Amino acid sequence: MSTLLQVRNLSTYFYTQDGVVKAVQDVSYEVAKGETIALVGESGCGKTVSALSILRLIPEPPGKIVAGQVMFDGTDLLKLSKGEMQQIRGAKISMIFQEPMTSLNPVLTIGRQLTETLEFHQGMKRKDALNEAIRLSKLVGIPHAEHRVKDYPHHFSGGMRQRVMMAMAISCQPQLIIADEPTTAVDVTIQAQLLEMIRDITNTLGTSVILITHNLGIVARYAQRVYVMYAGRIVEQGPAQAIYHDPRHPYTIGLLASVPRLDEPRKVRLAPIEGQPPDLIFPPVGCSFCPRCSQANSSCQENGHELVEVAPGHFTACGVACKELRHGR
Amino acid sequence: MLVALGAIFIPLFSPYGYAKQNLDALLQEPSWSHLLGTDELGRDVFTRLFYGARTSLAVGLFAQFVVIAIGLPIGAISAYAGGRTDNMIMRFVDVMFAFPDILLIILIRAILGGSIYMIFLAIGLVAWVNVARLVRGQILSLKQRDFVTAARAMGAPGRHIVLRHLLPNSLGPIIVLVTFGIPRAIFAEAALSYIGIGIPPPTPSWGTMIRDGYDLIFAAPHLVLFPAIAIGILMLAFTFLGDGLRDALDPRLRR
Amino acid sequence: MGDKTLIEIKNLKMYFPITSGLFLQKSIAAVKAIDDVSFSIRKGETLGLVGESGCGKTTVGKCILQLYRPTHGEVLFEGNNLCQLSNKQLRPLRQKLQVIFQDPYESLNPRFTAADIIGEPLKIHGIVRGREYRKRIEEVLDIVGLAPYMVNRYPHEFSGGQRQRLGIARALALQPSFIVCDEPISALDVSIQAQIINLLDDLQREFDITYLFISHDLSVVRHISNRVAVMYLGKLVEVADRDELYKAPLHPYTQALLSAVPIPDPAVEAQRSVIVLKGEVPSPINPPSGCVFHPRCYKAFEPCPTVVPQLEDIGDGHYVACHLYPTPQYEV
Repeated sequence: MSTLLQVRNLSTYFYTQDGVVKAVQDVSYEVAKGETIALVGESGCGKTVSALSILRLIPEPPGKIVAGQVMFDGTDLLKLSKGEMQQIRGAKISMIFQEPMTSLNPVLTIGRQLTETLEFHQGMKRKDALNEAIRLSKLVGIPHAEHRVKDYPHHFSGGMRQRVMMAMAISCQPQLIIADEPTTAVDVTIQAQLLEMIRDITNTLGTSVILITHNLGIVARYAQRVYVMYAGRIVEQGPAQAIYHDPRHPYTIGLLASVPRLDEPRKVRLAPIEGQPPDLIFPPVGCSFCPRCSQANSSCQENGHELVEVAPGHFTACGVACKELRHGR
Repeated sequence: MLVALGAIFIPLFSPYGYAKQNLDALLQEPSWSHLLGTDELGRDVFTRLFYGARTSLAVGLFAQFVVIAIGLPIGAISAYAGGRTDNMIMRFVDVMFAFPDILLIILIRAILGGSIYMIFLAIGLVAWVNVARLVRGQILSLKQRDFVTAARAMGAPGRHIVLRHLLPNSLGPIIVLVTFGIPRAIFAEAALSYIGIGIPPPTPSWGTMIRDGYDLIFAAPHLVLFPAIAIGILMLAFTFLGDGLRDALDPRLRR
Repeated sequence: MGDKTLIEIKNLKMYFPITSGLFLQKSIAAVKAIDDVSFSIRKGETLGLVGESGCGKTTVGKCILQLYRPTHGEVLFEGNNLCQLSNKQLRPLRQKLQVIFQDPYESLNPRFTAADIIGEPLKIHGIVRGREYRKRIEEVLDIVGLAPYMVNRYPHEFSGGQRQRLGIARALALQPSFIVCDEPISALDVSIQAQIINLLDDLQREFDITYLFISHDLSVVRHISNRVAVMYLGKLVEVADRDELYKAPLHPYTQALLSAVPIPDPAVEAQRSVIVLKGEVPSPINPPSGCVFHPRCYKAFEPCPTVVPQLEDIGDGHYVACHLYPTPQYEV
């Protein structure tokens, strides 16, 4: 498995009136060819910002990628010019967003939006592009594609619009697709349809996927490797099996314990993580999870966020967990 | 905000009588004894400017009172009641809106005579439509929001919902509209005075001053210039006032 | 937990007319949000109402509270038919029927302080005054886990989870016996959701409150409900005791719904197969004939497109509206 994308020590900050929001701090992850990885975390943990940083879609101001490298196929994306970056976006790396309502242009037919990408990146003529658009629409499961390409986004339901986005995303055979909470805004059964479709297509085409979500179930079903993020940093990473069966960070353990599972006997009481997510302008000193952590000891305040390998491919940033912690399941 | 407040209160002071004519000193350029010069009848422009300010401001403010007094309840009732009531009221509003303003004012003047109160009323009567529309729009969208539903669910009577939930939350744009309306009313008054159906002499208002001064604009430009500048400054002042008020009332900006 | 029925819904229908016309608005079609739904809730229990968007579950909640006046049917609360009461008559009853909303940002008036928010129901019903009033507010704040010094803060100064607690406090102020929880945790972070669920659980036990818990999150519903009802396109398709429903779902839609929920465990997931429904949810303006689910049903057969299935009692309090049960009626 060769590495396709490597994010190294990425830091992205936002400079606001209230202070500097350290949205992403020293984050590193990688995706191999054909692999699906997941970035898991709650709102504000920095997963979306890190993905947008890869594609350099961070508005500057107020944002700024202050450090790090994004190695894609041997090139550092952060050093490319605007024009070169445009060649990458949509063609080599494409993105699907959470809100299908707002990600599509309401005044263009979906056919036009599809052909736009094809014409720009592949230099196709309109007629060829249209045929290709129809083919792609069929591929993502849009019924009556020949007719529907002439429709506008508001003629489609949420699930269908996500399929259109998917069609746009794969239209130029990208090597990597970043899916940012693609199913948060849709119902469970549609979610199943969409995710199965994404899996089928990416398996067939050999596309790598970065799946960004807060849903632990989706991650378990579709991702091979998982990066758990909290307060702008990666707190644990490893193969999916390892993360779920042998979590080594109190946050991961807390998350897994607080979510009710359909297949387990019903617990009388859920075990929530107490407290509130941290302020990213003034993050806690030392381990950022410390204020909410049940395992914290005195050294947590000083120790940094070094990721330490506790098992092959399995890293955790928790000083305590490295040594002794086991979850009790 | 301080600038705004200052601009409003300064016009209340002045040493000269506004109607006093000094026939010896006709059409003088600005000088030390008459800071902004005199007009064609020898009256001191500076004084007239300040008295004019009072008049113009009065027009602006009272006209807006009329506007709010009529526009707000109509808009609020229409939006809250919804359905056919809303429909009927809005059709009426549309008709009023389509009516040419000047004609209406002339009509009112013909009926009510030329007193200054008529001016307030007339300007108010043509301008309330915008406020009504705005209020209605605000309330219609607020009606849908969860906290309003919560109030209904706890059994709040309609009156309570409108007064404590809907109106306070719709104030923002309304304040802006009303504070902009003041200089616009002044402008309207100026226009009316210009065509002769505004404030009767010798009461100065900035509009009448511009009117009277216009004939001599090449010989004595200061007669038009100063009132015009005054109107401009006032509009700016009210803009700041409106913004300031709106921000002050937003609880989100309180720390 | 007594056996007394607190709420009973009978043949509830809620149709929203679609009108057109300049002066006189004529009704040209109707959105059938709820189409003949009946169920009951016992005192002290939690009935989970699940379904996807457009199934009508939120509308059911609003109809029970008479926030929408049902087009047809009865809503019995402690034996009284709420549909027949005027707004004035309803007002005193509203103390006992409350609601918690989904969006913690939208459900609180941004201009009200926490004290105003919790105090509003107290003021409207004239329950307590003066010092008693302040005392009650602080009491309720404490019950939901917020500190008393937060009394004068505005909603924007609270986090999402805290605002939701405020919303719960507001609902509790009048000591209701029934609360409609309309997706109360969907808008919250995962780590906060558990906190709120536990809170709701505790409150139920302490104050003997009955809940209608509306949600699309099947895992959470399973945790908190005693019985679960599944809705699709305005109709009830299955009702059962919680464990029964999750262990042995009978209606094809329920089965698809459950299989679509991913379980946070890769080993388990590798073994599961997902039932992927074809197509989209049809429009409630023009629902399919017969069984409303039949166009997407992978088990549809002969009678499904023509005959509307009734909610049948299969035994043990398990009800299904499907031609496959109690026994499939084949017509050869």
